[in-house]
Amino acid sequence: MALAVHFVRREMRSRYLGSLSGGLWALLQPLAQLAIYGFVWAYVFNMRAPGGNATPASVVPFLALGVWPWNAFSEAIVRSTTVIQDNAGLIGKVALPRWILVFSTAASSFLLNGLGFCAILVLLSLLRMQIDIVWLPVVLLVFVQMFVLALGFAFLFSAIQVFVRDLSQVLAQLMPLWMFMSPVLYAREYLPAQYRGWLDLNPFTYYPEFFRTMLLGLGEVHAAPMIVATIVALAMLGIGLAVFRRLDPRFEDFL
Amino acid sequence: MSAQGVSDAPLLVSANGLGKSYPKVFRPRDRLQAMGKLLLGRNDVASVPVLRDINLRVRRGESLGLIGENGAGKSTLLKLLTGVLTPTTGSVEVRGRIGALLELGAGFNVEYSGRDNIAMSAALYGLGADEMESKLPQIIAFADIGRYIDEPVKHYSSGMVVRLGFAIVAALRPDLLITDEVLAVGDESFQKKCVRWMEDYLDQGGTLILVSHSMYHIQKLCRQACWLRDGAVAAAGDVFHVTQDYLAYHERKLAAKPATEAHKATKDLEFSLTEVSVNGATLTTPVMVEQGGTLAVDARVHSRDGREPVIAFGILRLDGTPVYGVSTEMDQVHAIRESTHEYRIAISFADLALLPGSFVLRVMAMDTEAVRLFDLSEREFTVRGSTRESGVVRLSHSWIEIG
Repeated sequence: MALAVHFVRREMRSRYLGSLSGGLWALLQPLAQLAIYGFVWAYVFNMRAPGGNATPASVVPFLALGVWPWNAFSEAIVRSTTVIQDNAGLIGKVALPRWILVFSTAASSFLLNGLGFCAILVLLSLLRMQIDIVWLPVVLLVFVQMFVLALGFAFLFSAIQVFVRDLSQVLAQLMPLWMFMSPVLYAREYLPAQYRGWLDLNPFTYYPEFFRTMLLGLGEVHAAPMIVATIVALAMLGIGLAVFRRLDPRFEDFL
Repeated sequence: MSAQGVSDAPLLVSANGLGKSYPKVFRPRDRLQAMGKLLLGRNDVASVPVLRDINLRVRRGESLGLIGENGAGKSTLLKLLTGVLTPTTGSVEVRGRIGALLELGAGFNVEYSGRDNIAMSAALYGLGADEMESKLPQIIAFADIGRYIDEPVKHYSSGMVVRLGFAIVAALRPDLLITDEVLAVGDESFQKKCVRWMEDYLDQGGTLILVSHSMYHIQKLCRQACWLRDGAVAAAGDVFHVTQDYLAYHERKLAAKPATEAHKATKDLEFSLTEVSVNGATLTTPVMVEQGGTLAVDARVHSRDGREPVIAFGILRLDGTPVYGVSTEMDQVHAIRESTHEYRIAISFADLALLPGSFVLRVMAMDTEAVRLFDLSEREFTVRGSTRESGVVRLSHSWIEIG
């Protein structure tokens, strides 16, 4: 486990190695993203966040609760998909548990984006944006649950990528599609009624919706979706680990 | 490699029926198929074996040299021992901490500085931060690469990478040190430093598995050797025997190319060799002679006209370089006439000055005037020994006291 911590630190460092602002990018990049989406949302499409208050600014916390979790989730998956392949040199020369590579990549994505997520939430609540910041610990707990789900995909995809190199290419195309099929930039209510149920088939849907319920007071908290989401996250991790462990001994032969 | 004699030192490495096959993947579709099979728990992926049925035992305090041609499977074997590769068949068990230097810059990240890579290697080896901190000066001193220690490894020369890699392993003092042909890259002084360090390490009870193409290094550092040929053990045991067999094999390989049957003296002519025995053996299998031992040759010549033949004996290296030649005519001796047409001669090279290696003994039957060659017979023999002298023969010498 000490090795895993070492790798997480190494991964976090290497991501910003040589860049001037270093770790600040973790905050700047989603901020810029949020500014663009916020502007387009509020002023170009002239849409308002769900709920009573219809000020253009209210769109910002609504989007923030979708954009940061999605960034952490998708980045963790995309980056860890190629991690085994990218570290072929290391794997071929040093006997190390390979799961550490996947884990540390996914964990560093969540850590960096999680820090940015907390920073923006605290900032927004200081700006009196009506965020129930007291619920932040619960939100972070569910953030960890989201990490479990992402880790499941990360193990599955990183193992498959060793054998089928097309996966990372396909994923680059599919991830934006996945985002638009999730309530990241919109709320469920904005969909035509007959399509709203489809969102429940998407394992990511639960997370932005839960965060918005907790922090913005949109909708209600039900026990059933929480249980289902927990089971799905754990099941995904189980599947991912099972596939990874089956293929792990033969990675070196196919790298 | 069980030690000569019974050793009760604890077993560090034991490999049983170890084998490795690499999958045959030519088309991307094969990869998909292979993955499917593996996921279903089937292991019948089409594959090429690179190692077969390797049995290996290394006890604490032993030193084993792995030799063999390129592609013989040496590196694959090391990777199996270190756990980088998973064996296809058999099993391998290693006890104790392994320090491995597989190829250049094992596991270095080229973007990071030397210092960061030291920390990384220490973490991989399971060292705590404080332990690492205390070893850092020692590592930097051993590597001796000056200011480069703070530069990214991508700016290093290959020699510097090896220096750093070796310095790390040296500081970690593993139970078992595994190195794969790393000495060859360092400069002369660093090589000496490494060899000295390894000798020291072995003296203190360390265990070593060394891959090298330098028989000098193998003989200097290892007491046992294992010769891999085409993925299987060709010979194993005492380092001198195995390395000599290996070198002899190479000489034979080189000699096999030019056709040796150039002069096929015409049979049924005036003189022909009917029998040649070397140290009593008449078969054509190579003969073993200990260094300093005796090489006795007995030859029979059939003389069609009953005239006495001149018989010459020559010793050549396998590549054809003559070492020594002598004939009955030169030494004014005569072959014994055993019957009207049969002559017999015996010669003994006692106290054989040849150094270990493979040689060819050539027996030639010539006419009475020693002018025309009529028949020729060649026999291979190998001189064995454990000397570190180099060359072909031992020249008699004495050290002169000055003063």
